[in-house]
Amino acid sequence: MTRPRRDPRAERASIQVAGEARPRFDRTARRTGSGRPRRDPRAERAGQRVAAEARPRYDLSQTVRFDAAVITEAQPKAAAAASPKILVLDDPAFLVAVVPDAPGGRLSSHDRQVLGAARALAGREGGVAILTLGACEGVGPAGADRWLPLDAVEGYDPATQAARVAAALTALAPRHILFPESLDGGDLARRVAVRMGEPLFTNAEVVAANGLVRPAKGRRVEQRIAPGLLSTVAPDAVAEYGGPPREARPLPVEAEAPTQGSKRIVSAARVPADPATVPLALAEFVASAGNGITDLDTFRQVVAALRATPGASRVLCDAGLMPRHTQVGASGTVLAATCYFALGISGAPQHLQGVAGCEHVVAVNTDLHAAMIERAGLAIVQDAQAVMPALLKLLVQEAQGTGDETA
Amino acid sequence: MTIVVLLSAGRHPVSGAPVLPRMEAQAIRIAASLGEAVGLHAGPDAEAVREALGLGLTRIEHIALPEGLDPVPALSARLAALAPDLVLAGRRSQGGAESGVVPYALAEALDLLLIPDVVAVSGGADTLTLDQSLGRGALRRVSVRGPVLATVHPDAAAPHAYAFGKARRGAVELVGAAATGVDVPQAIVEERPYRRRPKLVKGAPTGGSAAERLKAATGEGGSAAKGRLLVEPDPEEAAREILAHLRQIGVLAGPTKSNS
Ligand SMILES: Cc1cc2nc3c(=O)[nH]c(=O)nc-3n(C[C@H](O)[C@H](O)[C@H](O)COP(=O)(O)OP(=O)(O)OC[C@H]3O[C@@H](n4cnc5c(N)ncnc54)[C@H](O)[C@@H]3O)c2cc1C
Ligand SMILES: Nc1ncnc2c1ncn2[C@@H]1O[C@H](COP(=O)(O)O)[C@@H](O)[C@H]1O
Repeated sequence: MTRPRRDPRAERASIQVAGEARPRFDRTARRTGSGRPRRDPRAERAGQRVAAEARPRYDLSQTVRFDAAVITEAQPKAAAAASPKILVLDDPAFLVAVVPDAPGGRLSSHDRQVLGAARALAGREGGVAILTLGACEGVGPAGADRWLPLDAVEGYDPATQAARVAAALTALAPRHILFPESLDGGDLARRVAVRMGEPLFTNAEVVAANGLVRPAKGRRVEQRIAPGLLSTVAPDAVAEYGGPPREARPLPVEAEAPTQGSKRIVSAARVPADPATVPLALAEFVASAGNGITDLDTFRQVVAALRATPGASRVLCDAGLMPRHTQVGASGTVLAATCYFALGISGAPQHLQGVAGCEHVVAVNTDLHAAMIERAGLAIVQDAQAVMPALLKLLVQEAQGTGDETA
Repeated sequence: MTIVVLLSAGRHPVSGAPVLPRMEAQAIRIAASLGEAVGLHAGPDAEAVREALGLGLTRIEHIALPEGLDPVPALSARLAALAPDLVLAGRRSQGGAESGVVPYALAEALDLLLIPDVVAVSGGADTLTLDQSLGRGALRRVSVRGPVLATVHPDAAAPHAYAFGKARRGAVELVGAAATGVDVPQAIVEERPYRRRPKLVKGAPTGGSAAERLKAATGEGGSAAKGRLLVEPDPEEAAREILAHLRQIGVLAGPTKSNS
């Protein structure tokens, strides 16, 4: 860096105030011409900032000239991000097939993770094909380039379903096929594997083009293998696809499997879980009473009216007011419920351990500073003995259709 | 009614000691509630499955098979000879590959109907009713005719307690060793000690900062962060708020059920 040589005499002469007998100098005047201008670090930093990103990111390779205005670029990038273009893959080198569960015609988060894994296996050249039984929405944004909608099988007939999927997969001839390792997906994967006579790599926790990894021998070892034809992917192990939406071009299915109605299954009926008798660890919605509840009859009515599974804190179980198998907490049952409704529970650490996995917590307590109130998504500081009858009354009113708040 | 319970040689996940897998012990309990059952094991050594005698079986058939051979041909040959009405197996074995493919391969070889993830079985010789777990306590009740192979889900009833006297009285019989074991071409598998991998954090923004991921993991970013606090509301008001919140989450059905 070459710096212009300063000339103190000339600088001094330039700031001399004219028209005075005695030489006087105005040192407040900005020195231009010679000398170094002052740096403005803030402006330089702002100039390096990459536009159109929510998180601040700086492009340090962009050197800012401190005497010139800062250059701001990356404007076209922002425009591209505003309207995500659908990625079209016209001629994939190979296909990676995914057979999701898609309960109720919607991809579950496990299904999306399997699509993310398939995307990782497909890389740049390959395409991801999704095989759904019946209609399914949102397959393009989840990362599918091709889409084979097969006809759904009526009733419960997993063998026919597997035959149909195996026939479609044989016709498609993908390089890899992935299934979710869930109750239904794992069952379908094994049926398809024995039908096709191919080995199945189950419960993969790492999916990459250079190898799949699964736990084995009671999680004492892990086994790595080069990606084969058939694998199932463990839940919550692989990230979902996060890129721009893909085309999901429908592919016609040539091979139509014979619809062999199996005569061996006489009937199949779904029995929903009975909240009153389902084991606490499996329950979806638990309503619990603690030491703050004295009227347990009303509590039981509330639980029945809400169609919840009854729970209790240790104090009530120790006192024999609630059965021991209803105890929630470290020395009771650890819940996997979606929602936990705590009435008169302080939220001791041993109790909160049992609730750690619950997504939503609703608490009623008279103490504003109780730990349960802090944990709750909806916290109500009120006497639970007064809230319970109000809840019952409201539920009865709604059931009769005479609720005044519905007007 | 002939019932066969398939027993595999399990290993304890922590100590590595031979142990009967829990799901097979649960299968024995289901079988014992229906009638007399026989255990079937193919492997080099029957000592590992001897425990099953104390859990409710009176007889175990053991097919001697060298280590590392595929048990499916030997098992399917023996099952074809026994012609059982009900075959019970575990959902996954324990201590080996834990792939759960053996029951499916047997069903394919014998052209048996396979019902997975069963928690209870009832009925007689011609029609069986199987309760299949759909997760979270929900069931599918399947009625089937003819022979069926069912795999047992961990939500089935807990196994019976081990009884020493029964274990002593029971017998393990060696049945004809498999003539030829077909050597299955094994894929090259590289084994190394298990390494725990971070679980995905649900709800964490992709590309978010470490602080955002931590928030999502501790629940601060979830429902707790946008938690609502009502101090001393009217009890009726509180009840309305609670019901509205429960409906929004989706755990409570809407009020339009029996409208007049
Ligand atoms: C080794 C060990 C293991 C344990 N394991 C467990 C376990 O597994 N599960 C468990 O639950 N506990 C367990 N405990 C006990 C735990 O420490 C607490 O003692 C217990 O959880 C407290 O229960 P509680 O919240 O019902 O009672 P309290 O702590 O007495 O709280 C009662 C709450 O109700 C409120 N209240 C009072 N009146 C009303 C009203 N009218 N309306 C609304 N709110 C009201 C109060 O403000 C208070 O917050 C364990 C303890 C130990 C030492
Ligand atoms: N060698 C074997 N002998 C008898 N039954 C077996 C054998 N291997 C597996 N099984 C049965 O098949 C189930 C699943 O095993 P796997 O496919 O190895 O996970 C087990 O729970 C057993 O019931």
